[in-house]
Amino acid sequence: MASEVPDFQAYCGRGEPRFANDVELECAKLLDYYRVPWQYEPTTFVLERAADGSVVEAFKPDFYLPEQDLYLELTVMKQSLVTRKNRKLRKLRELYPDIRIKLFYKRDIQRLAERYRLDLAS
Amino acid sequence: MPPVASNGIGELYLSAAEIRTRVDELGAAIARDYEGREPLLVSTLKTSVFFLADLSRAISIPHALDFIALAGYDGRGGGSSGVRLLKDLDTSIEGRDVLLVEDVVDTGLTLNYVCKTLSLRAPASLNAVTFLDRPYRRLVDDLPVRYVGFTVPDEFFVGYGFDLDERYRHFPDLRLLKR
Repeated sequence: MASEVPDFQAYCGRGEPRFANDVELECAKLLDYYRVPWQYEPTTFVLERAADGSVVEAFKPDFYLPEQDLYLELTVMKQSLVTRKNRKLRKLRELYPDIRIKLFYKRDIQRLAERYRLDLAS
Repeated sequence: MPPVASNGIGELYLSAAEIRTRVDELGAAIARDYEGREPLLVSTLKTSVFFLADLSRAISIPHALDFIALAGYDGRGGGSSGVRLLKDLDTSIEGRDVLLVEDVVDTGLTLNYVCKTLSLRAPASLNAVTFLDRPYRRLVDDLPVRYVGFTVPDEFFVGYGFDLDERYRHFPDLRLLKR
């Protein structure tokens, strides 16, 4: 679980966001600092259903920026797990072609951390 | 600060001549598009100052200059307060044609904030010229970037105003920094 959550000014979601890790928290703080409206995990996209209609696979991107109509997913996973996430992302784009989504990999997060001096403890 | 090897100050990415040629092209385009309108070029301190100086001299029509400075995000400081202007414009922009002069547009977060802030002051028009465009991690797309010097890859540069801990801004060329 991420560190203590600050008082956000640009958060426009429902309920208090509960970040999974400090990377998500730092990203939220960065967006908030620049007053970019953001939501945390507002939408679950179903990727596959079983014959009985139950959900077999789903994808819930980390952030949604309503002014940009853009979803943002962060990952700091090792390469083997990134491949699985890439596959889910490809599936999402096939099933929901109108959805705009960006995936920030570990390298992207490192670049952001350098650029904005993010406090990434985890 | 980690030591930098004597041969570690980057490899040449854009020569001073290449930069000059492109800046001249941008200046000519701006002069053509803003003929008769006396635009106000607004530069964000500090990195874009080098670009602004060259660009201004490449624009043959009358124009004015002004500067703003923003408190940049610094996660080490907690990042809890919002972005704000450390230095505001010295002149009113109401009814004026404003051209923001940027060093690089990356995520777009900074330019988005500046555009939103200045739009509230009723300029006649608001556009941007950026020396470098690095769209790889763009989060805000709807930005009025009308002129682009160079589109660059996701790399770290020094020179021509770009720095590493305030060093290397003075290089007349743009260098890819080995990290």
